[in-house]
Amino acid sequence: MPKGFLLERNASDAIKELVRALIEKGLVGGAVLPVRLPTGDNYAFVFTRDEETISSSAPISPVMPVQGARVLSKLTKKQPLSKAAVAVLKPCEVRASIELAKINQLDRNSFVFVSFDCPGVYSLKSYRENPDGVEAAFSEECSSFSLSNPRPLCAVCEDFTGEFADIEVQFVGIKGTKVVAKTEKGLSFLKEIGWDQQIDDEDREEIKKIKEERLKARQAFKEEFGSMVDSPEKLLDVLSSCINCHNCRSVCPICFCRECFFDSTALRVPPHLYLERARRKGGLRFMPDTLLFHLGRMNHMSLSCVSCGMCEDACPNMVPVGRLFSLVSERTRAIFGYKPGRDINEPIPYLEFREEELEEYEVPYFEARE
Amino acid sequence: MADSGFVPKIVYALCAWCGSGGSETAGAYWLKYPENVRPFRVMCTGALDPAYVLRALIEGADGVVVSGCHPGDCHYNIGNFRARRRIAVMKTILDTFGIDGDRLWLRWVAHGEGKKLADTASEFSEHIKAKGENPLKRWDT
Repeated sequence: MPKGFLLERNASDAIKELVRALIEKGLVGGAVLPVRLPTGDNYAFVFTRDEETISSSAPISPVMPVQGARVLSKLTKKQPLSKAAVAVLKPCEVRASIELAKINQLDRNSFVFVSFDCPGVYSLKSYRENPDGVEAAFSEECSSFSLSNPRPLCAVCEDFTGEFADIEVQFVGIKGTKVVAKTEKGLSFLKEIGWDQQIDDEDREEIKKIKEERLKARQAFKEEFGSMVDSPEKLLDVLSSCINCHNCRSVCPICFCRECFFDSTALRVPPHLYLERARRKGGLRFMPDTLLFHLGRMNHMSLSCVSCGMCEDACPNMVPVGRLFSLVSERTRAIFGYKPGRDINEPIPYLEFREEELEEYEVPYFEARE
Repeated sequence: MADSGFVPKIVYALCAWCGSGGSETAGAYWLKYPENVRPFRVMCTGALDPAYVLRALIEGADGVVVSGCHPGDCHYNIGNFRARRRIAVMKTILDTFGIDGDRLWLRWVAHGEGKKLADTASEFSEHIKAKGENPLKRWDT
């Protein structure tokens, strides 16, 4: 029987109360959660234990300017926190954090993950055009679980519940808010604050319905968008507005390398090599290596891509990078039946192998007999 | 096959132990492979980053073929298993965008398999000739 606690209030307040209780009891050293900045046109993650800041925070924020996994990685890349912190994350941020923990870029034990039924987020651009309008509509849209104009990938997201966190906060299809322990660790924390009552954690009908709708939407996206990029010409058309700024790479939670190959000296070559390339191809587009950058990055990280859509949000020229990567990542992950962020003990496919597998990707040899 | 006069540019990535060894054996037996196949030696197929293959395909190669030690024979124990996973991902990505994952081949060649190496080079060259020019050979990539 799952354990948890039912609160008679909305999800945001329930999360704040949970955070407060954990801090008051001295179970965590602090909290990492999104707060609306005083200017009112942006949000930021704040690491705090200050009561006032927690009260003014917005656990369910309408935008994602920075991926939470990057924040946690920044905090614990060098060494673990001396005392665990509670991190309030969106489901894709939880999954990205677990991916980063697998490759030692984040200390999983330093955090208690709290996640919730995520309605999706607005793109930062559309939010900043009219922050107050979005805010006014957001709480209503949260409870009906449909944003008017979400990030393209949020509209086709199937993993929108906090099931992979330590503590899941459920509010869709429930009167009030349910706080449920999802791991042993989550349970031990809830036990300490007395939130470990017997509670039913059945599959919710509403969630099933939304999942089905999303599944259909995702299928349509795969067909529609897939046919937009199914030839090299079309792919280059889609990438034509790319200015090679590498913003998508800088905001990606999975791209952790200290030095990216595509920024390295390997791609800084003397002029005669540019001339040679230009001669070979009848010219050379500058900045060069745009396609190499995107395809290369897909090879390097698409298996761990959590489809958060950060890259697309950060693109100054509206290149649908996020959709491109999400499309590819679904296909590459399918080779190994891998799902990023599902289980910290499931290694990334590049880091393990089976002796007998993937023979269909080899080309058989039949010796010609004369 | 009708000869269109198209001579594909082919990069043949060989691992330093078995693939290159195979080419040595082929040489010792005076076996010939097409001149448009350029061997490219890497320490291990597991050290062949996808970026190298993509670079070749984007910068003018019509096809890339990779040969290393048979599974279980890797000089570094597991390099070729990792290569196989990487190549599976690479082919899938190329297929998604219609660049054609079949322009990339993986075939194991042991040190003694000189004939297999020379045969693979000719076979792949013919295979790419039938496919035609690489669509990525354009200036705006």
